[in-house]
Amino acid sequence: MAAVKETVAAVAELEKYQHGFITDIEQDFAPKGLNADIVRFISAKKDEPEWMLQWRLDAFERWLALEEPDWAKVHYPKIDYQDSYYYAAPSQKAGPMSLDEVDPDILETYKKLGIPLREQEVLAGVQGAPKYAVDAVFDSVSVVTTFKKELAAVGVIFCSMSEAIREHPELVKKYLGSVVPVSDNYFACLNSAVFSDGSFVYIPPGVRCPMELSTYFRINAKDSGQFERTLIIADKGSYCSYLEGCTAPMRDENQLHAAVVELIILEDAEIKYSTVQNWYPGDPVTGKGGIYNFVTKRADCREPRAKVSWTQVETGSAITWKYPSCILRGEGSSGEFYSIAVTNGHQQADTGTKMIHLGANTKSRIISKGISAGKSSNTYRGLVSAHPKAVGSRNFTQCDSLLIGKDCAAHTVPYIEARNGQSVFEHEATTTRLSDDQLFYCQQRGLDTESAVALLVNGFVRDVLQTLPMEFAVEAQKLVAISLEGSVG
Amino acid sequence: MSSLAKAIATGDLTQLPSRRDEDWRWTDLRGLLRTLPPKPDHAEVTTEGPFAALGGDVFLVPNGFVEGFTHIEGGPDNPVAQLRFVAAEAGSIATTVLVAVRSGQTLTLLESYEAQADGAVSDIALDIQVAEGGRLERIVLAADRAESVTVSTAAVTLAPGASYAQTILTSGARRQRIETRVSHPGQGASVRLDGAYLLHEQRHADTTSVVTHSGLGGVTSQLTKGVVEGQARGVFQGRIVVERGADQTDARMGHHALILSDKAEIDAKPELLIFADDVQCAHGNTVGALDENALFYARQRGMPFEVARAMLTQAFVGEVVDRIEHEGAREIAAAWVAEQLGRGQ
Repeated sequence: MAAVKETVAAVAELEKYQHGFITDIEQDFAPKGLNADIVRFISAKKDEPEWMLQWRLDAFERWLALEEPDWAKVHYPKIDYQDSYYYAAPSQKAGPMSLDEVDPDILETYKKLGIPLREQEVLAGVQGAPKYAVDAVFDSVSVVTTFKKELAAVGVIFCSMSEAIREHPELVKKYLGSVVPVSDNYFACLNSAVFSDGSFVYIPPGVRCPMELSTYFRINAKDSGQFERTLIIADKGSYCSYLEGCTAPMRDENQLHAAVVELIILEDAEIKYSTVQNWYPGDPVTGKGGIYNFVTKRADCREPRAKVSWTQVETGSAITWKYPSCILRGEGSSGEFYSIAVTNGHQQADTGTKMIHLGANTKSRIISKGISAGKSSNTYRGLVSAHPKAVGSRNFTQCDSLLIGKDCAAHTVPYIEARNGQSVFEHEATTTRLSDDQLFYCQQRGLDTESAVALLVNGFVRDVLQTLPMEFAVEAQKLVAISLEGSVG
Repeated sequence: MSSLAKAIATGDLTQLPSRRDEDWRWTDLRGLLRTLPPKPDHAEVTTEGPFAALGGDVFLVPNGFVEGFTHIEGGPDNPVAQLRFVAAEAGSIATTVLVAVRSGQTLTLLESYEAQADGAVSDIALDIQVAEGGRLERIVLAADRAESVTVSTAAVTLAPGASYAQTILTSGARRQRIETRVSHPGQGASVRLDGAYLLHEQRHADTTSVVTHSGLGGVTSQLTKGVVEGQARGVFQGRIVVERGADQTDARMGHHALILSDKAEIDAKPELLIFADDVQCAHGNTVGALDENALFYARQRGMPFEVARAMLTQAFVGEVVDRIEHEGAREIAAAWVAEQLGRGQ
């Protein structure tokens, strides 16, 4: 019951989006707008080699030829891509060597955020604090990466993307764009042209990463888009758990976040990727502002028995449009997708996954819990496909939707494509509302309406919360409760 | 007017849906039809339809010509109507038939697609209206030829308190789509939409349905089963929409398919689009091979592999056939299924 009490307390103490502050720091901007010169400017700012600039320019060329997709169940006014900053970075002369050298205002920001930079406690000498290696990306630029030395001792490379391009070009050249090709889709293509930073992880063969790796993303500057790029490579027999957290200030305008995450998993390796996304969702009453979260995430299980597990808790963003996917190429590889998507106010979410079974005896599992409240719309869209060679493949999908209130909508749009006779695919979906009987029971035991809703919703999403790392699970539980605040009664 | 009917009317093949059209992603007509055959002449039909034994009025549509009737209607004592679409020769056909069941009337509509020559391209539109308290059971038996192209679209409009039940049985064609769109007002109206597709060789069958609940307390029950062999392709698209205010809707959809060969394919998209909160909606979808344990058991009791497989698949499809209310039609359907699955001989 301790967790429930915490939820209740969290609901009581927080009345609105708590990460809505703006940190006033000096920033470098590229001029507004998007053209080949801006791409060159970004590349030059990052001190990139010629091959990287060419890669970006090639992506930009292709982007110009692409059309913005409109098939998702999300509606938004046309984005003016020329009315946005594509590069905003906290001004710094040189990369900081330690946290002490980071702009104190930024550190203050992290303090306000609480959870992600937990290792601050470690630095302060707090005993028993959990160890997280953190890469913090502020607007578009990686500000600080911690625990690098400790990780380097076991051979793990954890650094910002721009550093990886400079220090480990052979790995970047080999893997960047190999899972999400440059022209994969409109937003991934835009990202390929203008991404300014992100995290890079390489786990060498046979190494179990000694700590959780974590990236914390924050959009701070006004009118800017955030385009980060994450690349994680788990070499043979290795393991890594990676966490991602996101917040943004409250603003009246919509801001675009178009990230690309590529995971490469080799023989017998495993990656566990968890996201707690809490971008600013826009004004709950008018729907004004908020982040457009249009992200491409894909994992490639390239070799036998590779394993990937996506867990996402999506509570923020005005619009969430993403499908973390698994390409199950290696024989016996497996993919998992656990998702909680909460929409309230005027939020819209169209999210789900793709499980593409290419190799024999591949397995996948999808558990999706969608909760819609207020005037929001929440869509699960997923694809499960089996190639003729994927004999003996199995999938189990369960997607449940919960509706709270008269004006919300919940949709389930699964696609199943089976192309061989030796696979088994099972899919089930339900849509219901919060049970009056259960609510009444909780209230009759002395809980007020909101606590009762939080309790029931936590029960509804339990299967997914359990797959999150401990500390994130507590955070996620609070977030779900806060996101649904005011949705009943 | 469907896109195929438009293409037939105008001769403009770009009207045809292609894989890029979301609702037709698994039933590509534009890639298949490079030319449309000319419209055929009127033909005499001498054969009997699959439901001949059940009697009732026969409404014949040979080569797309609606003969001797303007519409089909129900009656007070559950009359049987046989509606036969016969493509006697190669040609492009576009036709529309109206079925109206008035208040308090009932009707059992036995509909058959009978292609007698290769190369027929047919677009069939049915406008079905069931008034308050009316009951309609529609049984469709699509026995097309391997080279036929058929698109059949039924727009079903129900009044409160109406009851509509449908069973589609098909053995597929070169391309075949049987689509049902139901406008469901709730308020005592109930809908049952069933289907079974049994495909072999290179046949294709697409069973698509859209049920839109717009009023209180509507009930929909949907069950489709499929068996595919050879290089056949079965497509199921089911969409249940619950509009704002359509509270207390109870909608359930099931699609279960067996793939009996390594080159066959099943594509399924069971959708729920819900805009009301006080609803119970669910769908289940399974695709897989026959249960090996059951197969082993049957063979171990002395049954040859083929017989055991046919018995198990027949039992699998039997659930759909058993839900047919009209007894005579149920028997004919069961015999047809057995024949398709190789147990009839």
